[in-house]
Amino acid sequence: MDSLLQTELSVSDLTSLIKQTLEQGFYGLKVTGEISNFRPSSTGHWFFTLKDETCSISAVMFKGSTWKVDFTPQEGDKVTVTGSLDVYGARGTYQLKCESMEKSGFGQLLAMLEMRKRQYAALGYFDEKTKKPIPKRPLRVGVVTSPTGAALQDILNILGRRAPSLDILVLPATVQGESAAPSIANRILQANDLLLCDVLIVGRGGGSIEDLLPFSEECVIEAIHCSQIPIISAVGHEIDWALSDFVADLRAPTPSAAAELVSQGYMDYRNQVQNLYEQLQKSMQSRLLLAESKVKRFDTKAMQVRISNIISTKEYLLANAGNNLVIAQKQLLKSHDARVELAIRELQALSPLAILARGYTVVQNQEGKLVASKEQAEPGSMLTLTFADGKRKALVKE
Amino acid sequence: MSFETDISRIEEIAQKLNASDTSLEESIALFEEGMRLAKALEKALAEAKRSVEIVLGENPQEAEITSLA
Repeated sequence: MDSLLQTELSVSDLTSLIKQTLEQGFYGLKVTGEISNFRPSSTGHWFFTLKDETCSISAVMFKGSTWKVDFTPQEGDKVTVTGSLDVYGARGTYQLKCESMEKSGFGQLLAMLEMRKRQYAALGYFDEKTKKPIPKRPLRVGVVTSPTGAALQDILNILGRRAPSLDILVLPATVQGESAAPSIANRILQANDLLLCDVLIVGRGGGSIEDLLPFSEECVIEAIHCSQIPIISAVGHEIDWALSDFVADLRAPTPSAAAELVSQGYMDYRNQVQNLYEQLQKSMQSRLLLAESKVKRFDTKAMQVRISNIISTKEYLLANAGNNLVIAQKQLLKSHDARVELAIRELQALSPLAILARGYTVVQNQEGKLVASKEQAEPGSMLTLTFADGKRKALVKE
Repeated sequence: MSFETDISRIEEIAQKLNASDTSLEESIALFEEGMRLAKALEKALAEAKRSVEIVLGENPQEAEITSLA
């Protein structure tokens, strides 16, 4: 018997060879089959079997990939997965390791939508210039959606919070299944025929692409296109889309976002009023501060300071003036002294005593009269002679 | 009452309050007027006085409308 290999192999060697062969030979696969024995693990991985009429293969999808799948697979779901083969050596098994999963037929669905989109684009249904402006502050907003859906609750909550005076009219529609598209289209026509509101939100919450399909149906596209009332399309989540998004006057990523859009005008007003409020208060405050600072100049304490300033200035001037007076008086006295001395000296020069000191005498008779000639000094009379140092009596002889 | 006229009146008042030739008495009167308008506007915008209604029936030519509790 021919040997493939010359050496003897251990189980691990052989498994390793098989692993290499399978994993390197089968990658980038796209496989369609039916889900069976779906077992999600508590850690987030999915284990299941993919089968068709005659064969089955184990499959696994790890947590890192499952989050990208927008639906939870059900028993019997026909899906298309991409991935590669993976050999689990410990058990000698092989399985399909899935990277992505979509419902089978998804591709055709997308292609159909793309074609329809091109067709309406060519008809000019999506032209920017045909879009009607959304009123800034509508008075009544119409909502075409399921009356029981979470989307309606979101819209009511957000509008209640942001624009509590805005009236709302719910136009209940089926949003899933065969009857959905005509039901939606019918409500749009009704709102227009009866002019029930001044802006319309048409939408629903998130779902699979099939769930959102009614919003891409021709009758809905036509109804939106013909609407005189401006329409906001709000279908699914941020990543979802429907053809209604393109034909509507405005696309909102979610129903909540649509509610925010229609209430923005009211929010702007509220912010503006709030700003003005603060502006008024600030202006008044600075006005009052100005007045206060003017009044403050006249309060007791400030006045005391100012008056005591004035007083001390005056006191200083007074003290200064007093000092000057004393100096002036002293000077005056000094000059008087000098004059007195001079006068004394002059007086002394004229004094009779000074003349007497030079040898003259004053002669007086007994009556005390000055005797200035010999006629007045009769012989035998007594005269009084006054010298510089005293008096003597003299008898006139001849 | 129109929001637009009220808002522009408040804006005008704020401007006058900032002007230096407005007397204190005048300022106080203006401030009171402005605050009164702003409060009224705020109330009108924040007051929950909306009606939430739902259309009954399918006939597009005739809508029976009832309040949605």
